[in-house]
Amino acid sequence: MSRRILVVEDDADTRDFLAKGLREAGYAVEASASGREGLHHALDGGFDAMVLDRMLPDLDGLSLLKSARTAGITAPAILLTAMSAIDERIRGLRSGADDYMVKPFSFEELAARLEIVLRRPAAPQAEETRLICADLELDLISRAASRGDRQIALLPREFKMLEYLMRRKGRIVTRTMLLEGLWDYRFDPKTNVIDVHISRLRRKIDAEGEPALIRTVRGSGYTLTDQP
Amino acid sequence: MSIWRSAAARLILAQFLMVAASTALVLGFVYWRVGGVIDTEQRAVVEAEIRGLADDYSRAGIIGLARAIDSRLARPQARDAVYLLSGERGRRIAGNLAGWPPTIAPDSGWVTLKLIRTDRDVPTEISALAVRLPGGEQLLVGRDVAARAAFDRALWRALIWGLLAMTLLSFVTGWISVRMMRRRVSTIDEAANAIMAGELTRRIPAQGGGDEFDRLAATLNAMLERIETLVRDLRTVTDSLAHDLRSPLGRLVRHLHTAQAPDLAPEEWQARLTKAEAEAETVLSTATALLEISRIEAGIGADQFETVDLAALVQDMADLYGAVAEERGLRLSVEGQAAGAATVISGHPQLLAQAASNLIENALRYAPENSEVTLSVGSEGESGAALCISDQGPGIPEADRERAVERFVRLDPSRGAPGSGLGLALVAAVARMHGAQLSLTDNAPGLRAQLSFPTGGAG
Repeated sequence: MSRRILVVEDDADTRDFLAKGLREAGYAVEASASGREGLHHALDGGFDAMVLDRMLPDLDGLSLLKSARTAGITAPAILLTAMSAIDERIRGLRSGADDYMVKPFSFEELAARLEIVLRRPAAPQAEETRLICADLELDLISRAASRGDRQIALLPREFKMLEYLMRRKGRIVTRTMLLEGLWDYRFDPKTNVIDVHISRLRRKIDAEGEPALIRTVRGSGYTLTDQP
Repeated sequence: MSIWRSAAARLILAQFLMVAASTALVLGFVYWRVGGVIDTEQRAVVEAEIRGLADDYSRAGIIGLARAIDSRLARPQARDAVYLLSGERGRRIAGNLAGWPPTIAPDSGWVTLKLIRTDRDVPTEISALAVRLPGGEQLLVGRDVAARAAFDRALWRALIWGLLAMTLLSFVTGWISVRMMRRRVSTIDEAANAIMAGELTRRIPAQGGGDEFDRLAATLNAMLERIETLVRDLRTVTDSLAHDLRSPLGRLVRHLHTAQAPDLAPEEWQARLTKAEAEAETVLSTATALLEISRIEAGIGADQFETVDLAALVQDMADLYGAVAEERGLRLSVEGQAAGAATVISGHPQLLAQAASNLIENALRYAPENSEVTLSVGSEGESGAALCISDQGPGIPEADRERAVERFVRLDPSRGAPGSGLGLALVAAVARMHGAQLSLTDNAPGLRAQLSFPTGGAG
């Protein structure tokens, strides 16, 4: 059964765009134009995730989310805000959001982040010490990386980047997510900083003749996968 | 406009009432005191006269006294004086009264009564003192009260005239000062109206005396200067924005238009849409950057200041941009800061990082191949913390440095370098938010951009 997503967004164009995109991506979507109606739906339960607009005419996204969380709704939520990320983020995360996105955003970015929050374990798992993808192994204790018999020497930053990708194996990771996850920066660099870092890491991970594990997803970002 | 709505009229009225009240008070006091003094004086004179006449009596007897009275009455200054010397039963011996008034008993103090003087036809009011002489005769000395009344009237007249004169004077001075004030106010009024009508360069003339109005004019002119600058900036921004949006939007429309051509190969169609998307992204990033600058200038986020270590920030930046620099054949190095240099400030970590990133991206963009971009923290000879990014690129000519931080200023459009022309403007806005100074100096060769933070953390 496909996963159910609640979308609350007052702008009709954005709402339809999101609903259509998410349905095409295989989700079941309930779209709502008002905060009160959205809260009503949210309290009915049964949603796997919520995408909430921050600014709504009647009940804004933050209050909606707070009410839902108070009522015991734990489904992950992504807040959409037209305001600058810089000052909204803290407030958003404090009110129980799992992620936030600044408008305008690309649908690919939203889809990638939605995948991440959907797969986020409800309770933290026992601390892993080894991450594995095909023949690539990352030992988090000895901080060593190897592919097959080949030892890979990684700089600290490269190690963190690979760890970030491996922990999200098979899922799309966007450039914004990498910049935020590894450097804690939330601005949009004009240069291709992340691409350069990824290509360096890729040169070390995917040697000549080996199947490529780090793949570029056009228009979205990157993914580390052992699927052909 | 009702006359009472005029501040000037109210001022005149208030001034008039004040002057009238204070004049009346002063003159009333004078009247009261002078009247009292005159009464006392007159009584003292009468009492002295009685003593004098009593002396004459004891020295020269009743005849001497009668003579003395006659001689006194003959004096011209005795016009208001009343004397009567009578026998024991009230029969007149000397003086200007016909006979002893029956209502007066000797030695009973001051009395005031109406009597007929022998030298007048009408009864006059007199104030008098009567004594019995040792020989049984009675002596009365008094003063015509009419004289006192005349003095009173004169005093009253003086009071009224004084009051009138003061009132008139207060009206005149009030009118003059109000006229002067109105004239000064109306010059300000005129200037303001001219400015509202679009004459933005008009200023309020000062008279040069340095008075309150001149100071007001100076303040207003400073305000107008600031407003004019802001309006001009706003116009520049609006014009530049329109211009900057026109080009990518025009290309966007063109790409979309050509994408609609019939019989287009799918790859070609895809390529044109991709180009169109890129143009739309350009417009979007310009709008986003402008919005960000506006928000920073509005002080949004200033409540999220925390402790930021510039040394750590520089390390992170070097870590983030080092790879890009190498790809471009540049060296990005971090210069060790001077021992004891301040590196910790209070600031907005994200905005500071963004500002630093803008400066680094600029440096990487303009630096020639095989050159060095240096990041450093702390500054020589200054106590505050500073963040410094220097390159060996072409630099910015001194004349353009001030202009470089304005919005939409691209110093060398012929270079065709990418960028919205908002990068340095954002850095400048972040600097202002932190109370920091952004200075662009010559790195000989290249540009040295420095953010100098005030000591003790930014406010």
